Amino acid sequence: MTASFFIRRIAYGLLLMLGVVILNFLLIRLAPGDPAVVIAGEMGGIDAQMLAAIRADYGLDKPLPTQLWIYLSNVVQGNLGESFFFNQPVATLISARIGPTILLVLTAQVLSIVIGMFLGVIAARKPNGPLSGFVSVFATIGYAVPVFWTGIMLVILFASVFPIFPVEGMRSVRLRDAGPIAQFFDVAHHLVLPAFTLAIIYLAQYARLSRASMMDVLGSDYIRTARAKGATEQSVLFKHALRNAALPILTVAGLQFGNLISGALLVETVFNWPGMGRLAFDSILRRNYPTVLGVLFFAAAMVVAANILTDLSYRWADPRLRGRE
Amino acid sequence: MSALLEIEDLNVTFNTRYGAVTALDSVSLHVNAGETLGVVGESGCGKSITALSVMGLIPSPPGRIAGGSIRLNGEELTTASPARMRAIRGAEAAMIFQEPMTSLNPVFTVGAQIAEAIMLHQKVGADQAMRAAVALLDRVGIPSPDARARDYPHQLSGGMRQRVMIAMAVSCRPKMLIADEPTTALDVTVQAQIFDLLNEIQRDFGAAIVLITHDMGAIAEMADRVAVMYAGRVIEGATADDVLDHPQHPYARGLIDCIPNIAKGDAALREIPGVVPPLHLLGAGCAFAARCAHANNRCHTEKPKLAAHGHHPAACHAVQEGRI
Amino acid sequence: MTEPTVPEPYVAESPGREAWRMYSRNRTALFGLGLLFVILAITFYGSFFYAGDAYDIVWAPHEPPMVTPEFPLGTDYLGRDIVTGMLKGGGPTMAVGAAAALITMVIGVSLGALAGFYGGWIDTALMRFTEFFQVLPALLFAMVLVTLFSPSLWTIAFAIGVVSWPQTARLTRAEFMKIKELEYVTAARAIGAKNTRIIWKVILPNAAPPLIVSAALTIGVAILFEAGLSFLGLGDPNVMSWGLMIGANRDQLLDAWWPVTFPGLAIFLTVLAVSLVGDGLNDAFNPKLRER
Ligand SMILES: Nc1ncnc2c1ncn2[C@@H]1O[C@H](COP(=O)(O)OP(=O)(O)OP(=O)(O)O)[C@@H](O)[C@H]1O
Ligand SMILES: [Mg+2]
Repeated sequence: MTASFFIRRIAYGLLLMLGVVILNFLLIRLAPGDPAVVIAGEMGGIDAQMLAAIRADYGLDKPLPTQLWIYLSNVVQGNLGESFFFNQPVATLISARIGPTILLVLTAQVLSIVIGMFLGVIAARKPNGPLSGFVSVFATIGYAVPVFWTGIMLVILFASVFPIFPVEGMRSVRLRDAGPIAQFFDVAHHLVLPAFTLAIIYLAQYARLSRASMMDVLGSDYIRTARAKGATEQSVLFKHALRNAALPILTVAGLQFGNLISGALLVETVFNWPGMGRLAFDSILRRNYPTVLGVLFFAAAMVVAANILTDLSYRWADPRLRGRE
Repeated sequence: MSALLEIEDLNVTFNTRYGAVTALDSVSLHVNAGETLGVVGESGCGKSITALSVMGLIPSPPGRIAGGSIRLNGEELTTASPARMRAIRGAEAAMIFQEPMTSLNPVFTVGAQIAEAIMLHQKVGADQAMRAAVALLDRVGIPSPDARARDYPHQLSGGMRQRVMIAMAVSCRPKMLIADEPTTALDVTVQAQIFDLLNEIQRDFGAAIVLITHDMGAIAEMADRVAVMYAGRVIEGATADDVLDHPQHPYARGLIDCIPNIAKGDAALREIPGVVPPLHLLGAGCAFAARCAHANNRCHTEKPKLAAHGHHPAACHAVQEGRI
Repeated sequence: MTEPTVPEPYVAESPGREAWRMYSRNRTALFGLGLLFVILAITFYGSFFYAGDAYDIVWAPHEPPMVTPEFPLGTDYLGRDIVTGMLKGGGPTMAVGAAAALITMVIGVSLGALAGFYGGWIDTALMRFTEFFQVLPALLFAMVLVTLFSPSLWTIAFAIGVVSWPQTARLTRAEFMKIKELEYVTAARAIGAKNTRIIWKVILPNAAPPLIVSAALTIGVAILFEAGLSFLGLGDPNVMSWGLMIGANRDQLLDAWWPVTFPGLAIFLTVLAVSLVGDGLNDAFNPKLRER
């Protein structure tokens, strides 16, 4: 049954992606002006020949359904259009940028979940203790701070006051030819500030949420049962309670993934992180729509994938959802 | 001879927004090895708190043992270290709870939960503990225990889950088994099966049982002695026959009068008019006075002590003055 | 059992006053409300009475704060006064935030109400539609919309509304599904009230408390969105805003910390005030939660 659930989930995900492609198509057609000009984008340098080529490529002289069909079959073949500025296919452009974004987003996700839950669990043991107070203040503040501003403040702090972490880019130029281990640590070193900047909002939210959920769970009957059989406090907290308390965090973390990508967009811009967000920003400034819409497509695909993974891990973590076999 | 479990003058208080309230007021009880003590009384009178005190599981804060002593096998529990209490819980004293639906952890298999109880107190490997768990499931009458051990709680019925709870409780052969309304949440037919199982377990394992219940029929069938509680106090205690045949305290009389026919075994507690006063409104007098047909001035101003008078001990001025 | 009595009045007498009583006991929430009033007052003054122009170059670039008395917060990389920017920049941010929150609420509540009230295939279709919108990373989608339809305060507010309604829709749907099963809705049906009347006059007022809380939080999110868009340079280029100030001065941030720090602080305090008010309303509407 898990297999069929998985297949259904994937099929639905593909359907959503089809929706994204159609949306992209509509966006270009709905934008004011000649779609060929919109596609060519990039102010200046559009000549009649180029526009004619675009019209032919996208079938812009044909009826709308045909145009949609052409667009769809192009996307299915991995053709998301050309970036005239970079003079590269959009798909190639994005595939070089997607890795750093995934690295940043996943690191931030893991950091925020692990640290947030840890703080929340500790705070839940003393609902009126100082850590509990700190967690709720921190969560309120974390929610209100603009993520790009946190990044900028950290850049100022770490560039001039404590220059221990790099504040720009993903790799050092001088280590371009170093061995893989040195490169790994170099990237990790560059990752620290962007990942923390991005993680901090969610970290605060997860700390507050896991504190509440943990307090809920700690009052439940099965925790009393665990204590009644003589389980140690660590076992009660981290084995019996945490696994149950983590379920709502998992749900929220799944739902937040899209917002995390939105945040990554800003963080990449602040730290010059060579990811899709940076690419989207550069392309938008140049009115390069095929690239921007390509980023939208890939970002949506990441969210869909994250949702499928969340669903699967939820079923793994909560046996009640697995159903009887 | 000293009893297996002796509770003496136990006081438990809770901090609430009305201030500190006394949930248990000088509760004294004892349970002899191998016997069954029934504890009865209306909802909120402190039965569960008494049981949780023995297990060292009073939720704290807000609760706290404010005085008195609990001795198990002569060992004082109110001052025992947390580590010592953990060693006792599950091994020497075990407890079965009222809500089988929520008392098992939903994310672990029932086999693993029983095996955990075994491994906490005995030096055995995981495999051996799991085999013991399957044997216990078999012992408590669960069909195809091998397969059921791999089930999660939500896959079992309420009755089955309560059997799992019993298997878990007896897994380390405790001398003291506390069953807090073990059948309240179950169907009537299942209730009888669970009581039978408890009887069998007691015979085989030689455990003493404290049976907390609202079901006077179960008391008649299971209990050797009975303690009647009201508003945090024990108001009458004697052998089951004495209490059932000659209830002394007006509250106990009320409880027993409500039973249609004990012999038929389908007895259910009916209501006595009025309600238990909330703890923060308890005054100086007898907590039952407001509902009592025999109350006089003294009853409203002075708490009666549990003292033998006439047939057996009861905490009632009217009984002690010979008015009823 | 009791005979079918006339249900409780659809709208209780003074839930507003009761909520205010609870609210006024909550010191953090009162602080948030006070802070919000101060920020609104300053912004109002800045937008309508303060004479300066935030785009005017008035002094040497990168004058540090607290040095020249006329420019207590210093000047930016072009020599524009930061105090003027702060005073002028709040209005657009808050106007866009409020308008975007309004659009979010209108779309979210309408779709959520339809889905929750009618159920069945309408619900399924609308929820699929909602899920589709949740797949698109909101800021990126808003960026696309804003650039395609050329930035102005209205397109920005509209774009933020279009990308943020799904959560409101889900919340409204859940509330409607809960409330439509209640006795007084059944009673309203029994006396022959029309569906539109039941939705607007019976269920919506009773679903109001969580929706009001969500509206407050939505304003906070919308302000952050607006700030993010203007920071990226996608705001209305003719209107000074806090986010734009940060974005414009970003490249020189290592030379001068103040032009990027103060506007960010202003955004932070505004969103903080709004969210404290939202939390306070939430507590005031659910007094039971606070007994913990
Ligand atoms: N966490 C708590 N905080 C405050 N008071 C409590 C708490 N737990 C229990 N009490 C009080 O202690 C009293 C005794 O509760 P207890 O659970 O022992 O009743 P009971 O006799 O087991 O009732 P029931 O038959 O409903 O299980 C109750 O009046 C209750 O108000
Ligand atoms: Mg109880």
